[in-house]
Amino acid sequence: MQRDLLLARVGRRYGVRGPWVLRGVDLAITPGTLIRVEGANGTGKSTLLRLLAGLDAPTEGRITGRPRTAYVPERFPAALPFTAVGYLTHLGTIHGLSRRTAARAAEDWLERFGAGPYARTPMAQLSKGSSQKVAVAQALLAEPELLVLDEAWTGLDVAARAELERAVAERTAAGGAVVFVDHDPRRLAGAPDATYTVAEGTLNRRTEKESSPAGPHAVVTVQGAPGGQLPPDAGRMLTSADETTPGTYRLTVPASHSDVLLRALLTARPPWHVASVSTSGSAPDPESRS
Amino acid sequence: MTALLRYQAALLIRSQRWLPPFLLYAAFLAVGVQSGQPVLDSLGYASAALLPVAAWLVRICVTNEPPAARACVAAATGPGRAHLAALLTALGAAAALGTAATLVVTLISDPATNGHRTHVPPLESAAAGVLAALACALLGSAVGALTNPPLLRSPGRAVPAMLLAALLSVVLAGSPAQAAVSGLVTGSQSGRVPVPLLPLAAAAVLATAAFAVACALTGRRSP
Repeated sequence: MQRDLLLARVGRRYGVRGPWVLRGVDLAITPGTLIRVEGANGTGKSTLLRLLAGLDAPTEGRITGRPRTAYVPERFPAALPFTAVGYLTHLGTIHGLSRRTAARAAEDWLERFGAGPYARTPMAQLSKGSSQKVAVAQALLAEPELLVLDEAWTGLDVAARAELERAVAERTAAGGAVVFVDHDPRRLAGAPDATYTVAEGTLNRRTEKESSPAGPHAVVTVQGAPGGQLPPDAGRMLTSADETTPGTYRLTVPASHSDVLLRALLTARPPWHVASVSTSGSAPDPESRS
Repeated sequence: MTALLRYQAALLIRSQRWLPPFLLYAAFLAVGVQSGQPVLDSLGYASAALLPVAAWLVRICVTNEPPAARACVAAATGPGRAHLAALLTALGAAAALGTAATLVVTLISDPATNGHRTHVPPLESAAAGVLAALACALLGSAVGALTNPPLLRSPGRAVPAMLLAALLSVVLAGSPAQAAVSGLVTGSQSGRVPVPLLPLAAAAVLATAAFAVACALTGRRSP
């Protein structure tokens, strides 16, 4: 994703005289950002996501800077005459991969979400949760520049939910933008760069700090050269960083971002030494935010 | 676009929803075409019967995916291109069906005019039959594109509108399909094999316009 996806005074209504679902929406989606969209049922969250994913054209206003986009719907009733891996291979080639790459990526992503045993199962025979895993895999396998998740976690088992959170963290770390809607307030808690609320047809950026940054966190202790600076791409995702002794840091990140943080530290030049990794149920004191 | 077409074609073939229109067309031909009849007359009949079948194939292709699966594809390519792929797949299927029918009809028919008086060259007849079949496939696809989602979304309106429009396209004077078919029928009386290039070009123009309208409206009128 090279440039921002820009929405300028965007409005959408269904039918010529239908009521406006959304109106006057200005929004910029910057590469590498994670954006949460909130709102009560029926306020237009899904309409906003459909506009962002390019599924619907705005009734008024303009959307510019469309990146390579993937979309995960909330329910994926997979009445399609393919096997899981067959469908994913087709979708991979539609996303621009070669057939061979798409087939391999399909197997890998099904394996990651614990649906490997169902790779050769006809989609009509998949359970609701397994179908949702296929829906998530089709969006992730081509590494999109913009990933739009409309309650994508619904129906996934616990392991797959955590895996999807990690996949989202990987996507943003790789420079992709992710926009998501989810009714669980602990979903990717502490990770979004911005939270927007849809109410009465307009979009408002939520400015107040999250009252309860609850959610599992990972605590990573790392050692580097004395006076060494943490990699900048690692610094952005941290909840807190304490320099316990010169060159030794105690870093706290949302649990979903622990892998991405470790990768950034270990591939930095010079690499950091990871002394310990542990998890905690809740966030530490937000006062120590770096 | 190749990947989209391959996906849509696989969807059409594996869904087996192509079977009813295929059987209907086979039944049309079994009733209306018998071996030993004048070739151009039979080719005219086979072409005319292809038009409603082409419209039906379009209906199958544009309604073949659940909305959620459609959204996944549309996000990757844009809704217009996704819709165009469905329309082109249906057109391709209709064209293949029409070409196959033309070959079969040419082989089993008598290469002669009505009353079996004058000889008619079978190769030129087959060429004229393919051109007429393509014209009917194009016009039928245009009818299907304009009488199905995204333009007409409820099946209660879409199906009667599609059938009526397909019927009118075959019989109304001025329609390219009617011109192509009547060219074959009069050729069967006179013994002169027509070259229905003008009806084919007109049908291509109409189909292009209909596809453009349907694709442009896809993102605007959903879901």
